[in-house]
Amino acid sequence: MRQPIRLGMLVVAAALTFGACSNSSTPTPAQAATPAPVATSAAGGPTAAPTSAATPVTYTGPKVSVTWFCCLGTGEDASQQAVEKQIVADFNSTHPNINLIFELTPYTGARDKLSTELASGNGPDIVGPVGVGGSEAFHGQWADLAPWITKYAYDLSEFDQSAIDFYKQGGEGQIGLPFAVYPSELYYQKAMFDEAGLNYPPSAYGQKYKMPDGSQVDWNYDTVRKVSMLLTIDKNGCDATQSCFDPKNIVQYGFEPQRDDLRGMGAYFGAGQLMGSDGKTAQIPADWSYGWKWIYNGIWTDHFIETNSVYQSTAFNGGGYTFNSGKVAMQENFMWNVCCITNAGRNWDLGALPANPNSGKVTATFNADTFRILKSSKKQEAAFVALTYLLGEGSQKLLNAYSGFPARKSLQAGFFTQLEQQTDPKTSKPVFPTKVNWQVAIDGIKYADVPNMETYMPAYNATLDRLQTSLTRWTATGGLNMDTEISSLLTDIQKIWDKAGS
Amino acid sequence: MTSLALRRAGQSGRGQSLRQREARWGYIFLSPWIVGFLAFTLIPMVATLIFSFTDIKLTSSQPVRFVGLQNWQALFADERVWSSLKVTLSFAALQLPIAVVVPFLMALLLSSKRLIAPGLFRVLFFMPYTVPFVASVVIWEQMENPTSGWIDQVLGFFGVTGPNWLNDPALIYPALVLLGLWGVGGAMVVYLGGLSGIPSELYEAARIDGAGWLRQLWHITVPMMSPVFLYTLVLGIVDVLQYFLVVEIINNGTGEPGGATQFYNLFIYKELWTYSDEGMASALAWLLFLITLAITMLVFFAARRWVYYAGER
Repeated sequence: MRQPIRLGMLVVAAALTFGACSNSSTPTPAQAATPAPVATSAAGGPTAAPTSAATPVTYTGPKVSVTWFCCLGTGEDASQQAVEKQIVADFNSTHPNINLIFELTPYTGARDKLSTELASGNGPDIVGPVGVGGSEAFHGQWADLAPWITKYAYDLSEFDQSAIDFYKQGGEGQIGLPFAVYPSELYYQKAMFDEAGLNYPPSAYGQKYKMPDGSQVDWNYDTVRKVSMLLTIDKNGCDATQSCFDPKNIVQYGFEPQRDDLRGMGAYFGAGQLMGSDGKTAQIPADWSYGWKWIYNGIWTDHFIETNSVYQSTAFNGGGYTFNSGKVAMQENFMWNVCCITNAGRNWDLGALPANPNSGKVTATFNADTFRILKSSKKQEAAFVALTYLLGEGSQKLLNAYSGFPARKSLQAGFFTQLEQQTDPKTSKPVFPTKVNWQVAIDGIKYADVPNMETYMPAYNATLDRLQTSLTRWTATGGLNMDTEISSLLTDIQKIWDKAGS
Repeated sequence: MTSLALRRAGQSGRGQSLRQREARWGYIFLSPWIVGFLAFTLIPMVATLIFSFTDIKLTSSQPVRFVGLQNWQALFADERVWSSLKVTLSFAALQLPIAVVVPFLMALLLSSKRLIAPGLFRVLFFMPYTVPFVASVVIWEQMENPTSGWIDQVLGFFGVTGPNWLNDPALIYPALVLLGLWGVGGAMVVYLGGLSGIPSELYEAARIDGAGWLRQLWHITVPMMSPVFLYTLVLGIVDVLQYFLVVEIINNGTGEPGGATQFYNLFIYKELWTYSDEGMASALAWLLFLITLAITMLVFFAARRWVYYAGER
């Protein structure tokens, strides 16, 4: 065999072998490919010029690269990515000593990816936007920002003290700064109410609701159930209160809960948390049990809430937020939902969330996002400078992209005006309907769930996994005894916590 | 030539024999695979074995401690391990025979002399195998959706109420097997290769002796194809014991419906990424390796009785 041919075959063999090394039959921890919310809106930036929201912080150290990891929360939508990349470009052009790198991982796989990076010692520097839940999944790994706040005399007067204290954790210091709040509100389709001859949901908290027979009733989940059944229509036009109703052929649903997290689904019926005051005993708040049963009956008995199969079907947005399919009359969701709501049409509005009929109390569970620095970061100072840019000069564009209500006081007044001015770059039409009742969303902050449903609990990820199992089971399987199911859930959570604590 | 002259004729000027030179080149050509095997298979396997005796956790900054057999004891005492093994083996009992037989039957059909445009059909049957795996699972998840999936819609057209494929514990395994049939193109191509290697004289002799199609199939085709069956079976066993990605995507890896999809490999994944217990996950992975090795060795041992290698007897 001639020498050149031998060498050539050696090169080919090397290429084939190293290429084949990546095709191991051993499965790799792949990210679950659950369809993300439909990216329907390319929300452009506000037409008004952004106001300077904070004094810029200047870094004078050696040139470094800082990695910004997204998305343990919102941020993966195509329209949001465009804004995030622009923010990075703007930052890099004004900060020659810091190269900010944007690293995107879709929400469904972000926790696993971040865990891998941290375990391998290649963790990013900044993580965000991240809410309470995402942060608690990495409890104890966030850097104390206090030294950098002091070094750079960072101005905190723009934030409410309570908002600053929200991110101060005992023993860990100031592990975040306020950025965005996403209150909950009730989204509803006006045309569906008009067609059913129903009055719209109350536009403010404390108002009564007028039923078709003229009676004024409390706006609570009992009323929502009745209204939702009237708004749930099958393919023959029968609603869920009529004997001709066919639950196997529903074309329009009356109500959709926020079904990302079983805790949140319960928290809309009353604030609470799974962890008892001793930090190791599991509990199910009574309001959550009530709420879970209400939802379960709504799916399998009264049929005004989608089953899991329907929720996953392409006809109802394929696993994304189903109000955005335009086939659901009402949905409770967080403010960030407006990022991707274009397919819901332009005839929706916001209303007050219903109260728990047992307590008479309204709970508008909320999310709060910020950007945090990892304790493992070796470039915390530079990361802090980048963080202040995201919270300051870049915050307005980001808040518009994430539909987050600003924690910074100077940005609050004009926030919704700027939101309404956003146009779809493809059609040049406004993204949102005119005169949306944003005030009810702001008012909802008063009814925020305290304690927040995402607060710390032992064995956080394992408990979430167990909760997800129940959520999938309850939305996919009829005929269950919910008392038994909830009792089993509690027992399993306690076992998980006992194992984690041993 | 004398033996000494012959020996000298085979030696290079540097004193190496032809055999040594060829062996050296052989090792050089093998070296990429050896390096890859060491770097991406053997060393990680050894590392995993060591991890299984420690309390290493992904998200902990605490120093790693040697804990002896603690993880292994916890493994054998954990009922979830055995229930997930039971799920895996139950599914394997249904999926393996289909994964071995169906591609063979398709290869038989495609190698029929009566088939018009066999090349076209081979391409059509192989094409789904080229679709990226995750994309195909997502597609099938929608196809089997009882609300909008076309399988149930076609059944509805004939007046049959389509089942809830992915949420009924009685139907989830058939649904997964149906999904798996999407990828039979790969095994089918291997069988086609095997079929083309069977000497035609055997069939001619059988026809002369009066053997019909079925007897030819049973007495010629199947024995001659037995090494290919063994290959497919062994790969099928390894694949099914590592079954994971499909159920991670469908039903979000929750093991629903009713725990029927809580496969062993899914359990390893959760132990590693959800519970962040790398030590335990390593022990689980090694247990899977030992089980797979034991089953494979059993199959190879049994193969001596039913696999026919032409030329060895």
